[in-house]
Amino acid sequence: MKEAFPARMLRVHFGEDDRWHGKPLHEAILMKCMELGIAEAIAFRGIEGYGTGSRIHHASRWPLSKDAPIQMSIIDTEEQIDKLIPFLDLMVEEGLVATSAVEVIRYARTPAKVANQS
Amino acid sequence: MMLQFSVVWLALLATGAAHNGGNMLEAGKAIKVSIYLSDGATHHGVPVYSSILDFLFYRGVAGATVFKGVAGFGADHHMHSTNLVEISDRLPIKIEFIETKEKVDALLGKLEEMAGTGLIETQEITVAKPAQVSKPKALVLPAHLKILGKAKMMRIYVSEEDRWKDKPLHEALIAAMRANDIAGVTVYRGILGYGAHGRMHKDNPLHTSHQGSIMLSVIDTAEKLHAFLPIVDQMVEEGLVVFSDVDIIKYAYRALETEQAAPATEPGTDAGSVETLP
Repeated sequence: MKEAFPARMLRVHFGEDDRWHGKPLHEAILMKCMELGIAEAIAFRGIEGYGTGSRIHHASRWPLSKDAPIQMSIIDTEEQIDKLIPFLDLMVEEGLVATSAVEVIRYARTPAKVANQS
Repeated sequence: MMLQFSVVWLALLATGAAHNGGNMLEAGKAIKVSIYLSDGATHHGVPVYSSILDFLFYRGVAGATVFKGVAGFGADHHMHSTNLVEISDRLPIKIEFIETKEKVDALLGKLEEMAGTGLIETQEITVAKPAQVSKPKALVLPAHLKILGKAKMMRIYVSEEDRWKDKPLHEALIAAMRANDIAGVTVYRGILGYGAHGRMHKDNPLHTSHQGSIMLSVIDTAEKLHAFLPIVDQMVEEGLVVFSDVDIIKYAYRALETEQAAPATEPGTDAGSVETLP
């Protein structure tokens, strides 16, 4: 199954040691996205970076180190993204949120499994 | 007892306009210049022979050779030699080049300054057979070099365990893009994510798991990417493809060299040129 639609991509940048109620922030945001039925959300760990507050995020060679920059990429329709933004305002204390207009093609094996689309 | 160290011939490429003319020597009278240095000597932090070689190259000298001596002594009367016990980094170096008298006169002042304590000798010689510039290699411009300004970024979100004909899907996609002259692709592995299939992917810190979310980020023109879409349609069963508009500010590439005759290169597509947007 294939469907194409205009959408928005939202990117959130923060650090891996940022937390929300004791949970890593990227896990918390991802859970919120799932709860809102957002189509796609992925967190990436960067190698090095700096951002708001000029804190340098540096991933060490030790794989368990927790100070790498994190970028989350969240994709859905404009309305769905707008639903998420108030939560991000609360959850992201130090970071950056950027959105851009995108064109999306979604492939799915079975329509039933597709996350609900408003 | 001189070991030939390196030879640099100015076989200038057609696009190498930065060098002021790779002139060829003609048969007849010319000057041979020999510069004697010790290996440890540095000029602005780089070995003197290397900065002299660069200087000669960028001043369009027809050819220069650096020789590394195995033993020698100079004005300071210190013996420089290789010795296994005290490994010497101050072996003698000799740089030789042959040029016309006018050119040598123009270069000597700067060379004297660069050579420092080294000795420079000139010798009048006769060039019996001038060197020939080997046929310039044709710079083959890959098909994707027309990208300027407005372009598209295509991000493909798939799962790491997705496969295409016994190959990881993301690797198969890269191979397909390469075969279709797509300008470039970068693959990212997510640490956490879920996608069109609603499955949650979580990366494990020891990287033994192969169940991550994968994102391929591709940039090329809208036409090229849309022409490639049917292939994506075939290969991706579950996943998301996201297009966004981008402006290409700079596209620097290394041209492939082949032995074919040089086709007329188009202006504005020089190697490493910076394309600025209107």
